[in-house]
Amino acid sequence: MEAGQGPTVINLGASLTVDKAAALKDELFAALSKGGSVLLNLSAVEELDLSCLQVMYAARAQAKASGCGLHFSGQAPERVVSRLSACGFLRGPTERSGDLESALVGF
Amino acid sequence: MAESMDKFKETFREEAFELLTHLEDTLLELESQPLNGELINAAFRAIHTVKGSAAMFGFDNVSRFAHEMETALDLCRNGTLSITKEFIGLALKGRDQLRQLMEFEGPLPEAVSSESESLLTRFKEFADKGRPQAAPKPQASPHSAPEAAPAAALITRTFRISFKPQEGIFKNGTKVLNLIEELAALGQADVIPHMEKLPSLAELDPEACYTWWEILLTAAVDENAIRDIFIFVEDLSELKIDVASGKPEGEPVRLGEILVDRGDVSSGAIREALGSQKKLGEVLVEQKIVSKPQVESALAEQEHLKKVQERAVESSTASIRVASDKLDALVDLVGELVTLQARLSQTSLVLKDASLSSIAEQFERLISQLRDNAMSIRMLPIGSTFNKFRRLVRDLSLELGKEMELVTEGAETELDKTVIEKLGDPLVHLIRNSVDHGIERPDLREKAGKPRTGTIRLVARHSGAYVLIQVSDDGKGLDRDAIKAKAIERGFIAANQEVADAELYNLIFEPGFSTAKMVTNVSGRGVGMDVVKREIDSLGGTAQLSTEIGRGMTVTLKIPLTLAIIDGLLVRIGREFFVVPLSSVDGCIEMRAESLMKLGERRIISYRDELVPYINMRSFFDFGEGEGETEGEPEVEHIVIASAQDRRVGLVVDQVVGDSQIVIKPLGRMYRDVDGVSGATILGDGTVALILDVNRLAAVVQRGNGLKAAAGEA
Repeated sequence: MEAGQGPTVINLGASLTVDKAAALKDELFAALSKGGSVLLNLSAVEELDLSCLQVMYAARAQAKASGCGLHFSGQAPERVVSRLSACGFLRGPTERSGDLESALVGF
Repeated sequence: MAESMDKFKETFREEAFELLTHLEDTLLELESQPLNGELINAAFRAIHTVKGSAAMFGFDNVSRFAHEMETALDLCRNGTLSITKEFIGLALKGRDQLRQLMEFEGPLPEAVSSESESLLTRFKEFADKGRPQAAPKPQASPHSAPEAAPAAALITRTFRISFKPQEGIFKNGTKVLNLIEELAALGQADVIPHMEKLPSLAELDPEACYTWWEILLTAAVDENAIRDIFIFVEDLSELKIDVASGKPEGEPVRLGEILVDRGDVSSGAIREALGSQKKLGEVLVEQKIVSKPQVESALAEQEHLKKVQERAVESSTASIRVASDKLDALVDLVGELVTLQARLSQTSLVLKDASLSSIAEQFERLISQLRDNAMSIRMLPIGSTFNKFRRLVRDLSLELGKEMELVTEGAETELDKTVIEKLGDPLVHLIRNSVDHGIERPDLREKAGKPRTGTIRLVARHSGAYVLIQVSDDGKGLDRDAIKAKAIERGFIAANQEVADAELYNLIFEPGFSTAKMVTNVSGRGVGMDVVKREIDSLGGTAQLSTEIGRGMTVTLKIPLTLAIIDGLLVRIGREFFVVPLSSVDGCIEMRAESLMKLGERRIISYRDELVPYINMRSFFDFGEGEGETEGEPEVEHIVIASAQDRRVGLVVDQVVGDSQIVIKPLGRMYRDVDGVSGATILGDGTVALILDVNRLAAVVQRGNGLKAAAGEA
């Protein structure tokens, strides 16, 4: 985690699976508690499962409620995007992975 | 009545042939993916349809045979028997037999009948293997009319699926998203995740599942196929599957009907609510008859069903079946129109009438569009031809005890239907050659450090007005020195002549070059190559060969997209008109006759920094001097630079007239072997013009210069 004047950037690891969900929750919770906005860097992500996705949704809801933002940066790989799309989490097909944040249903 | 029945039977045959072709492709795919349920289903569906319609049209032999094949496939489909290589072999033979049976409506000839019986026995034996374990199934009588689909799986239906995993589902390592993804892949799906139960971040247990799904799936599967996906999470989730009641095609799907069908509301309540001016969903929620999520879910189903219907309509109207002779007649008519248009243009030119010229120009534009349109209708993807070869490679490799696979690329590349028909034989020749003599036996390949399985690649792609088709193998290749020695022995090249690889290898296509015991120590390599060349020539195409010993060989065929109407460049030689196909014209230049003369015997001109050999068409066709419009040699020579087989050649003509659309007419048998012309066409004034065969001319020029060079050096 790199804290600074601007948003807190969290560089996500390659595999966001259930064994990483607790750590992700703690990290996001800590970052959001500071009050600033949080930037999740997706560039290195190779796998994303439901547990971590749920953590992100909950974090986004908290960020919205407390008035600070939670956003994505970097592009998620095609594989992750197409799985999210097949599971109904994306509104229509996304042209670019960069659109992920705006395409996620109810995010 | 009898006539219309015959027509139906003909349609049945056509469709059945198509189904059997599809079945063959499916079986071949199934051989490499024996566990692919979709493929087994597809094979079953094909044979089931053939059986049903055969019985309807009185093809009892076909129907009886198909019934046994269907029974065997059904046992594979429900998992009682597994798909083996032997079964695929048997099923392919069965397919061939069905194809043959289709030819006979009444009693069968003895040979066909006994082959049928022996195959039927084998199918029965195969099916019997599965019987003891299988639950006894009532078997339809072989002669019965097409019954309803025997398995519900064959009907495309819409399923409402709700999947609610328990909170602890992650603990055993279940990847929920993968399950949903797999389910969605079964057909056309609309997937709606529900995350209402997701707590706040502070309260969230990161290892608990809070999400559930509603899925609307339209697919040709049965309920079991859906349950199978969730089989390992049965105890950790709640799975509900309902079948939505079907709607006849084209009828709108109403929200009220969906809600009633789901059991959310009674039809009486719907009728009452419909009396109000508000939207049905709103009224029902207001009256607390249904909840908002229930309405939303029903609306999602309505949307899904609409999409499914739209897609069905799209695919049913996307194409129609037209007899190919009607298309031929259409193209012939367009050809006549093109010729007529040329006359109109010519007349308007002579009359110099402005309004007539404008009509002629407009007519020309329209005809040109009509031509492109008519030609595009005749275009077919080459993939249909490619599929035939998969079977050929499979059967030959089994026969020869070799291991190989056929890799195809560019199956969607389109070519004129006539061209595709004529390409079949040459491609069979080339592939047979690769299978038979190119690819080595597995043990030899291993010794040479290659994978046991040889690869034959069949690749098609567009290149301008041509399609390039490549047949290559990773087999033993050809020996350059052996070819050279043979070429010298046969007098194709001089003993001390240096030849480029490409040129040397292409000698293999020359008639009289190849015999059975040459080139490699394996007999037969090269046999039929001149036949391939001849066929490709007749298509106006070229063939080129490249090879490396030990690494394999590649034959590249360059085929014009169409044979019927082309754009041509009209030129005059002497008093006659000739046409150069525009697709092979690189440019036109003018040169003073004396500067051309200065270059002397070598007959080479410089064009765009390249030395290009040229040929004087006047002398090539032996036109006497008096036959030109001017007496003696003209002061300025007109040269058309044409490209052929990746090299350029200059054609010295008397006048370049201009471009025009050309309807190609074949030459009579007497003129077929005339060097330098490939066909004829009728010009606007009704005269005939010959079409120059640029490839042949290039070969003549090359040979002329080569021999001269060799003679000069000697």
